[in-house]
Amino acid sequence: MIEVVDLVKHFRAVDGSTVRAVDGVSFAVAPGEMVGLLGVNGAGKTTTMRVLATLVRPGSGTARIAGCDVRDEPIAARRRLGYLSAGTGIPDRLTPRELLHSCGRLHGLDADATRRRTERLVEDLSLGGYADRPCGRLSSGQRQRVSLGRAMVHDPPVLVLDEPTSALDVMGARDLFDLLADLRAGGRAILVSTHRLHEIEHRCDRFLIVHGGRIVDQGTRDALVGDRPGGLERAFFAALEPEGAT
Amino acid sequence: MIGTAGRRRAVQALASRDLLEFVRDRRTLFVTLVMPMAMYPVLALASTLGVRGAVADLEARRAPRRLALAVTGPGAEAFADRLRDVVAAAARPPGPGWPAAVTVEASTAAAGPGRLDAGEVDAWIEVEADAVARLDGPGTLAVDVRLPAARPTGRRQRDDLAAVLGALADDARRRRMTEAGLPESVLAPLAVSFVGGSAEDSAAGLQGVLPTAVGGVLVLLALLTATGAFYPAIDAIAGEKERGTIETLLISPCAAGDIVAGKFLAVFCVTLATLAANAVSIGATAAVLVRLAPAGMTPGITPATAAACGLVTLAAFTGLAAVAAALCLAVTSAARSTKEAQNTLTPVILLVSGLAGAALLPGFGGAATAAVPFAGQVALAKGMLEDAPGWPWLLAVSLASSAVVTWIFLRVTAAALADEELLFRGPDSAAGPFLRPAPRSRPSPGQGLAATLLALAALWYVQALAPGDLLLALPLNQAALLLPLVALAAWQRVNAIDTFSLRMPGTGAARASACLAAAVLLGASLFVVGAAAFVAVRGTHLSAAARELAERLLELVRNGPLWWTCVLVALLPACGEEIFFRGWVLSACAGDRPTRGRAVAAVSVQAAAFAAFHLLPERLPQTFVLGLVLGWMTRRSGSILPAIVAHAAHNAVPLLLAGLADDRMALGGAAPASIVAVAVGCLGAGAALFAAGTQRRGATNRCDD
Repeated sequence: MIEVVDLVKHFRAVDGSTVRAVDGVSFAVAPGEMVGLLGVNGAGKTTTMRVLATLVRPGSGTARIAGCDVRDEPIAARRRLGYLSAGTGIPDRLTPRELLHSCGRLHGLDADATRRRTERLVEDLSLGGYADRPCGRLSSGQRQRVSLGRAMVHDPPVLVLDEPTSALDVMGARDLFDLLADLRAGGRAILVSTHRLHEIEHRCDRFLIVHGGRIVDQGTRDALVGDRPGGLERAFFAALEPEGAT
Repeated sequence: MIGTAGRRRAVQALASRDLLEFVRDRRTLFVTLVMPMAMYPVLALASTLGVRGAVADLEARRAPRRLALAVTGPGAEAFADRLRDVVAAAARPPGPGWPAAVTVEASTAAAGPGRLDAGEVDAWIEVEADAVARLDGPGTLAVDVRLPAARPTGRRQRDDLAAVLGALADDARRRRMTEAGLPESVLAPLAVSFVGGSAEDSAAGLQGVLPTAVGGVLVLLALLTATGAFYPAIDAIAGEKERGTIETLLISPCAAGDIVAGKFLAVFCVTLATLAANAVSIGATAAVLVRLAPAGMTPGITPATAAACGLVTLAAFTGLAAVAAALCLAVTSAARSTKEAQNTLTPVILLVSGLAGAALLPGFGGAATAAVPFAGQVALAKGMLEDAPGWPWLLAVSLASSAVVTWIFLRVTAAALADEELLFRGPDSAAGPFLRPAPRSRPSPGQGLAATLLALAALWYVQALAPGDLLLALPLNQAALLLPLVALAAWQRVNAIDTFSLRMPGTGAARASACLAAAVLLGASLFVVGAAAFVAVRGTHLSAAARELAERLLELVRNGPLWWTCVLVALLPACGEEIFFRGWVLSACAGDRPTRGRAVAAVSVQAAAFAAFHLLPERLPQTFVLGLVLGWMTRRSGSILPAIVAHAAHNAVPLLLAGLADDRMALGGAAPASIVAVAVGCLGAGAALFAAGTQRRGATNRCDD
């Protein structure tokens, strides 16, 4: 579902130097799989996800969403993708129901399909209590749920979620990952990044650890942790600071 | 892929979504509905009160006054009696030039000054004993009319006094004629009476003030209509970026053009609503004003004419609303936050209102003005009120121009929306104005615009300081053009070779020589053909500014060596202006790897800037075409040298004609048909030679680009 091969994205800094945000990353996420993308700030997680979301053009390499190349077929790729980032907002002056409806129409759904899908999401995401309240008056957790609904309004087979729990409390994060587990069970490919390793340690099928624009380690939780004490967090630090490094 | 129906659905969905947000925004509602509804009544009330006060004051000033005269001296009684008889016999109605009533009294000389200063009488006349006899006799009676020293005497009072004493003089003339046995007709050798026509309505009209007042209202309408797009446009793009919702649109399966189309529809609807609210407010306020106007004051146009003017104005301003919506979107598309967008858009709105105001200046009008957004709509509406002919054609030009300009702005918006640098600005690229940017091979479009604005500003201010002597003024102009550019280029650290195309044209010496020879042909023949076209279209009449410039150049040619004049007038501007326009501005607009469309747009934009730089409106088409040709030469050859040579040849032709042949050509005189025919031939030959000389090199350059 998600295929990334030798992806490169460089930026030019103010001083003229080149920032290698993504430097030859390759990975894949299969249907029914949830993969965690881990890394410190500036490691290249967000840029990789923005490339997948067609918000940033890749410098070289390929990235495909459900078979559609993000460079050559960006619109087809967007139809198959649900994207949510920590910085993604929702319009303050619309209600969740209005927002979901307009997003459905934007994705080309007809009026009936949009209405059905909206009501389904209101029910699945438990938005009923505030579905007709302006989004500007919702709490952070409620807004994040609405935002997730917005990403899923066209029922995409692929979900790319960049720090989806950053604004959520513990309960909200747990509910969100429960929902993602259901979506994974439904056959969706999910790529999720977060700094809260404990939230996803036992929820993702595999993990990719990126640093300096490259994947420095990857595998299942058990493969990464091995018999090391300290769980995934310890494995994460070990990947970033290999033996011999300080 | 989503089909046409899906795209339309998406555009409608986006427009509906944005409209829903706009109507829930208090700022938008205030600007769209409340401001127009409040603005015109407040302005009208204030102006009505002012007009009524002014009319009342005018009527008070024009009201007839009483005139009291005191006559003193030995002959006072007889003189006063004669004056009373004359006033009674005159029987003229009170009004301008004749007082409401005249009282004449004989007084003692001692009491005169006191009564005058106390305001009991308006004037005091002292006469001799034989005053009346001398009045009737053949001589001239000199009288001093003493006016009060302690209080000012109004002009009306002096006019009334002159009229009464004039009537006394007329009476004396008649008496002298009778005494001499001559008929009174001797004093009236000519009797004039007007036949036909109709007398002007004596009631005060608004015809005189109406065009000025309507012009002001039209500029205000243009400003308020553009302001209607202000907040929606900021909210539509910069607001979305600030709230983080722009990503949700960019990851929808819509092209950037469709997203911009949806947003434009929403902003355009709000702008149209603003226009409609303004129109309703203006119409209602005008109706109220007519009722409140002082009695006898009429608007001077029939309701049918007013309705026709209103409809044409609304049609033209619909185009203005579209341009305003697209312009606001284009300007705000580069902003990251609403504050940044407001800071950028506010001066733009002020500039376009200045453009609208320029349409009120005398001499503006016609198809050229109609094609200019904001100025064209105001000029068209004002022309309708003044019953100017050809309004359907001007309306068509205005609407077509609005459509084209709107489309250009929307393309700019779509390009900015898809620009990831503008969207995310990269990890380290947040730059302030005093943070030196990274080196670039060529300047950015913004830097091209900045350099052009700086050059125009510098040129403007240099005009105030420039000496009359062209020997000093010309180098000063070039310095004003290039010095800001040098500073900007050094600051940006551009690649000078790429930016200014500092290469030889063609591959090999033979091709380079062919290119330069072709450039001479093109430049020289362009001048002759351009001058002939100018004379054919406009005749040999030059504006005062153009004639003054031509005469100063001729003076330079006559008084100095020709080669030096050519260096100063032909070569120096050619080098400076080519480095600026075909170097910096063209590179900035075209970018590193321009598509064919962008290259054409870049050549057109720099040609327009080049034409504007010359500040001679009647030469705009000629200068624009020259800019297009020079831009094409630079793009095709990858070198600035041919443009410099062609520009120098173009400038040198009138100097050579003036120095070696005939002054008439240099002053815009008609060239013989044979010379024009030769020039057209040279133009074609030059273009063909240039194309041949740059064929291989041009292809290479395009790859290099």
